[in-house]
Amino acid sequence: MSAPSIPNLLSLRGSRGGSQGQGRGGSHRGPSSGPSASHDTTIQGTDTDAAVSRLSAVELGYLIDPFASYFVTPSPSLHSRPSVGLPTPRRLPIINRGTYTRTTAIDILIDRFLSSTSPTGQPRQIVSLGAGTDTRLFRLLTSPQKHQNIHYHEIDFPVIISKKTTLIRTIPALNSILSLPTPVPNPITTQSFVSQHTNPETNNSLTLHPLDLRFFPSSPSSLAGLLPEYPTLLLSECCLCYLPPSTASDIITSFTSHLPSLGLVIYEPILPGDAFGRMMVSNLSARGVTMPTLSVYETQEDQERRLKEAGFADREVRSRTIDQIWNDWVAQREKERVDGLERLDEVEEWKLLAGHYVIVWGWKGEQIHLEVAQHRDGDEGDETE
Amino acid sequence: MSDLDRAIAQLRACRPIPENEVRELCHKARELLIEEGNVVTVNAPVTICGDIHGQFHDLMELFRVGGDVPDTNYLFMGDFVDRGFYSLESFLLLLCLKVRYPDRMTLIRGNHESRQITTVYGFYDECLRKYGSANVWRYCCDVFDYLALGAIVLGASNTLSQPSGAGMAPAGEDVEIEVCNADQQIISRFLRKGDIGGSQTGGSQSGASGSPERGGGEGGSPNGAGQQPTTNGFSEGGSGPPAPTNTGPPGSGASGASGGSVGNPAGAVLCVHGGLSPLIDNVDKIRLLDRKQEVPHEGAMCDLLWSDPDEIDGWGLSPRGAGFLFGADIVKVFNHRNDLSLIARAHQLVMEGFKEMFDASIVTVWSAPNYCYRCGNVAALLELSEDDSGLGVLARSNGDVNRSDGGMGGQGPRGVLMENDLLGYNRAGPARRYRVFQAAPQDSRGMPAKKPVADYFL
Repeated sequence: MSAPSIPNLLSLRGSRGGSQGQGRGGSHRGPSSGPSASHDTTIQGTDTDAAVSRLSAVELGYLIDPFASYFVTPSPSLHSRPSVGLPTPRRLPIINRGTYTRTTAIDILIDRFLSSTSPTGQPRQIVSLGAGTDTRLFRLLTSPQKHQNIHYHEIDFPVIISKKTTLIRTIPALNSILSLPTPVPNPITTQSFVSQHTNPETNNSLTLHPLDLRFFPSSPSSLAGLLPEYPTLLLSECCLCYLPPSTASDIITSFTSHLPSLGLVIYEPILPGDAFGRMMVSNLSARGVTMPTLSVYETQEDQERRLKEAGFADREVRSRTIDQIWNDWVAQREKERVDGLERLDEVEEWKLLAGHYVIVWGWKGEQIHLEVAQHRDGDEGDETE
Repeated sequence: MSDLDRAIAQLRACRPIPENEVRELCHKARELLIEEGNVVTVNAPVTICGDIHGQFHDLMELFRVGGDVPDTNYLFMGDFVDRGFYSLESFLLLLCLKVRYPDRMTLIRGNHESRQITTVYGFYDECLRKYGSANVWRYCCDVFDYLALGAIVLGASNTLSQPSGAGMAPAGEDVEIEVCNADQQIISRFLRKGDIGGSQTGGSQSGASGSPERGGGEGGSPNGAGQQPTTNGFSEGGSGPPAPTNTGPPGSGASGASGGSVGNPAGAVLCVHGGLSPLIDNVDKIRLLDRKQEVPHEGAMCDLLWSDPDEIDGWGLSPRGAGFLFGADIVKVFNHRNDLSLIARAHQLVMEGFKEMFDASIVTVWSAPNYCYRCGNVAALLELSEDDSGLGVLARSNGDVNRSDGGMGGQGPRGVLMENDLLGYNRAGPARRYRVFQAAPQDSRGMPAKKPVADYFL
């Protein structure tokens, strides 16, 4: 893709926000993904959806992520609530809390992975499926923990990877952290891209693989730079659910059968069969979004079984709904801080919505340990995290 | 056709009225509301509605199911705005109807009728988008400050009125709860069991099996309304429908615990958006509040709009960060002290549309089907019939102004009785007809370009 530049939304939003004369322009902003849009485009659009949600949560103070704004491009259809006169693409509090909780949960699991594998002094690999516009690596590389030996791999549609390489090339705040992406030949993807951390002593890097996951190879080591002997965390943040169930399990199996030291974290919706779930399935399909694995792994138990069947031992598989994570993993004082940002009035709806998303994770191999202790509710001053 | 009628017609078509008309309407409404007490007295029959949240097309469906104004006497328990895409049209239509038919339309304040909350949850943005300025939002917020905080329904009957659907069997005197679908078909009836005091409270909590609304909702077409009563869970009305089995309808506290004798006028019903406050032990204390202000962050007025009943003893902290949680004991003491048979409130999403708790001493009514176009819930209305024995409106203490005994100091014997009586206490509740309805069909929204898009975590 030869987009001359990806404009920074912030500068554009400044001018847009000032004009209040848009009147009912909102009524013309239907979802752009009509029935004519291809399913792939729609699925790629869910990444944009996530990027906007992330920016909303960041600008309202839920999350700290100086990179979120670079990955949101101004497109009217992104805004579920056209917000004329407002400077930010603001999501509702319930969505912001969801973005916060899901991001925090995965951050915690990644932190567990990194701290458990750090003593080896070896490279550790994180493979993010359908990573899209995820900013996580930029946050990891700028965190005060000064992580080392992280080999981060992102796999996504070529069109998405192309946008990301362009962004890294054009935005100084990004290419001051990662070097300009260099093409490396790779039979599977034709061409992948490698960026090194600009601080070479850290041995951190990002490899971007333009690959439609439906054509994932039978062994992950076919991907450039991915070495099966290193401890690896495989991450699917609402990604595998868009694939045919057999493809999704083949991808998981290709990792579990070739990588002895592996962690797996999957985040996706559950419970399609109750009243809320039926409406969710129907609303998403009206947007052209279908999740074939949802009817295969309907419950939290199904999701755990999925990991056990993929080769993780019973005692090394866990799952929590987003609602449970909010309750159990977020310390009381942090809950109060987050709740203080916007008054969340939608308690019942939160329980419904957050109860329909689960994070299921497992680990195997001696180097990886992904146990997460929960915060005891009501314990004041218990701020270990 | 008066200007007001023209505005009503325009709003019914879901078209906003011009800014100057909004200003005038809000001015008139304020003059009307300023005369109302903090607790409005409403005589049965009345149809009680919960949250609307800007779901205009579902509000139209509500009027279709519950009857039009002024034929039906309505009481809306707040939360007209925010979340849905048509807060403006919904609230202005209700306000127009209030001004046009002040005695047939009662509006009380919800926690979303607030400047602060509407800036977060959508009404402010919507006004800005539809008018290009915040003026209309300001006019509406000024009206919010004058809305009553609660209502007392007097003269509700222990017996249901005749159903309006054609060919329906009348409810016998012993029917305490009747659940109907949107096509006037009876889904279930529950008998008052006057002489089996306090035994059965089953099925009171969230959606057990066999949701009545589902059985009915799919049965009749919108156009073929009321052709025949369903026999769903109910046979041969009038001559003795079967006693309820061990489960009540979802949302129903079931009927068992009512101890009143059939035919007596029911006690009063207190309607409030959220619930009770530890600072309010009798209804008269609500009347003493200075309500004409933005909803405060704490205090009695805040609690009335924010609190929730919960399965706890006494009072608890609310997860909402405002108001409190209160348990069955609090409700029972409050109802007893104020001679109330029931508290009707809204504020909490209920998947089945309504939910009775604490031996039917409090009910949540929720009137926004498929809330936020996402939740998949049904909605409900609560109809209370007029007591035609002539006793009901000659209310006894009934919590009417200055007539509550307060149940406080100097009432020793009664207090003891109250304590002793507490576990088994239940005022004879009014007969209740719930009409359960679903979201308006998509095509009736008639605006494909604005087809609602619900957010998920993707």
